[in-house]
Amino acid sequence: MKFLCTNCDTAMKLKDAVGPDRGSVALIYACDTCSTGFAMLTNPHETQAVTSLGINIGPSTDPEFAAALSKCPFNGMLQEMGVDMEASDGAHAPATAAANTLEWSPEAKSRLESIPAFVRPMAVDGIESYARDKGYQQIDEQVLDEVREHFVV
Amino acid sequence: MKTYYDIAGDGGSNILDQVSAQRDAIERNLDRVDAIVAVGSGKGGVGKSTVTLQLSRAMAARGLSCAVLDADLNGPSQAHLAGLEGVPLLPGRSGLAMPRTSDGIGVVSLGSAIPVTRDLEFDSLAEGSSQTWRATREFTLFGELLATVEWGSLDVLLIDLPPGAERTFQFAEFLGPRATFVLVTVPSALSHGVVARSVAALHRAGSEILGFVNNMSGYYCADCDEVRPLFPVSREVELGIPLLGAVPFDPVLAECCDRGESSSGLESRPAVEELDRIAEAVLSKITIRPADTVASASLKEGVQP
Repeated sequence: MKFLCTNCDTAMKLKDAVGPDRGSVALIYACDTCSTGFAMLTNPHETQAVTSLGINIGPSTDPEFAAALSKCPFNGMLQEMGVDMEASDGAHAPATAAANTLEWSPEAKSRLESIPAFVRPMAVDGIESYARDKGYQQIDEQVLDEVREHFVV
Repeated sequence: MKTYYDIAGDGGSNILDQVSAQRDAIERNLDRVDAIVAVGSGKGGVGKSTVTLQLSRAMAARGLSCAVLDADLNGPSQAHLAGLEGVPLLPGRSGLAMPRTSDGIGVVSLGSAIPVTRDLEFDSLAEGSSQTWRATREFTLFGELLATVEWGSLDVLLIDLPPGAERTFQFAEFLGPRATFVLVTVPSALSHGVVARSVAALHRAGSEILGFVNNMSGYYCADCDEVRPLFPVSREVELGIPLLGAVPFDPVLAECCDRGESSSGLESRPAVEELDRIAEAVLSKITIRPADTVASASLKEGVQP
C-alpha cells in the first residue's frame, strides 16, 4: 500500500507508528513536499492480517512497538499449557536475581534468538527443566549442547 | 496524478522487502538440500504421513540423508510416527536443531511441541475472524521452519502436506518450482476423485508431479500370505499421472508406525518391499546433486508479492 499526497502529487512517507491499542495501530504519514500529514488507524482485523505475515509494521526504530506485535503467536495457548512464559522472557532480557530464574549467558541467548519466536517458550521450558534437574545455575552454550545431545537423538 | 507504479518504494512500511527477506532466508537455508519432495493427496486419512516417513526410511537405507518436515500444522503426526513425541524443539548452533530418529532421519513436526489434547491456537488481535488471517499465519510459521531448521546437507527433504486440494495448490505456490509432488490415494472412487482435484490444482500451479501411490491397495494376510481387496477398486477416475506403486495394508507395519518404532526387521513384508520400490521410483525421477554444486532453481520463482 502506498499513499499519495493529493495536494502536490508526492509519495507520502511513513513517519511513525503508535500502538498497539486494543489491536489498533496508528501509522502516521507525512508529505515531505507540502507537509500534509495524516494518520491511518487500523482496526484489529487489519493489524492481524498484516502481522500474520510475520513482519514488523512501521519504523524499525521502535523496538517495543515491534516486539508488541511480533511476540510468540502461541502465548495464550502456552500459558494454558503451563509453560512458564516469564522464564521465557527472562531468557531474552537481562537475567534477574529472582528465585528459580536461571541466568542465560549472552551466547546462549543469542542461540535462543536464532530459533523462531513460536518455539522459544517451549525450548526454554525444556532447557531450564533439564538444567534445574542437573542443578545448573546458568545456561550457557555448553548446557545447550548437552540438552541437545540429551533430547535430539 | 501518479499511480501506484509511478512511485518507487513503499513510503517506509517496508512490507515487500520484509517478505522478500523471508524468502531469501528460506532459499539460503535450503541451499544444501538437493531435492524437495512434497507428499500430498487432497484426501485425508489415506496414509500420507505413513507413506512419507516410510519413503524417507527406504531412502535412508540407500545411504541418502533425508529429513521430513511435517507441514500439517493442525494435525501433525510425524513426531508420533517417528517416536519423537515429547522431544522439544531446541536451539542448535545457528538455528533450530533437527531432531533425528534412531535410524538417523531428521523429523521436524509441531507434534514434538504440542500435546495431542491441544489444537493449534494462535493469539489474535481480532477474535472471531480467523478465517481472514489464519492461512497466512500458518504459511508464515511454515516458512519460519524452512528458514531456521538446521537442515544441513540433505539429499531429500520430504514434506508431509495437510489434506485439501486447495492447500496442495497453496503449498505448490509457496514452495515454487524446486518442489516435486507425490500424491497418495486409496483405491476407492471417492478418494480418486479428490486426488484428481489435487492433480488439477498442481497442473494449474505448474508443479511437477512424480506420480501417485495407491495406498491400502489391499489387505496383507500373513496367515495365507496373500493380498486381498480392502476397498472397491475405482475405474471411474483416471488420474493421468504415473502409478508409483500399490501398497497393501499391513497390520504389523501399522502397529509399528503407531508405536513410533522403526520398521527395521520388516523389510521382507510386501508393504515394506513395495514402499522400497516406490522410493526407488521417486529417486529415479529426482536429481540428487553432486556435493559441490549449488542450487540452480530458485524458490523465489514462486513468489508473487
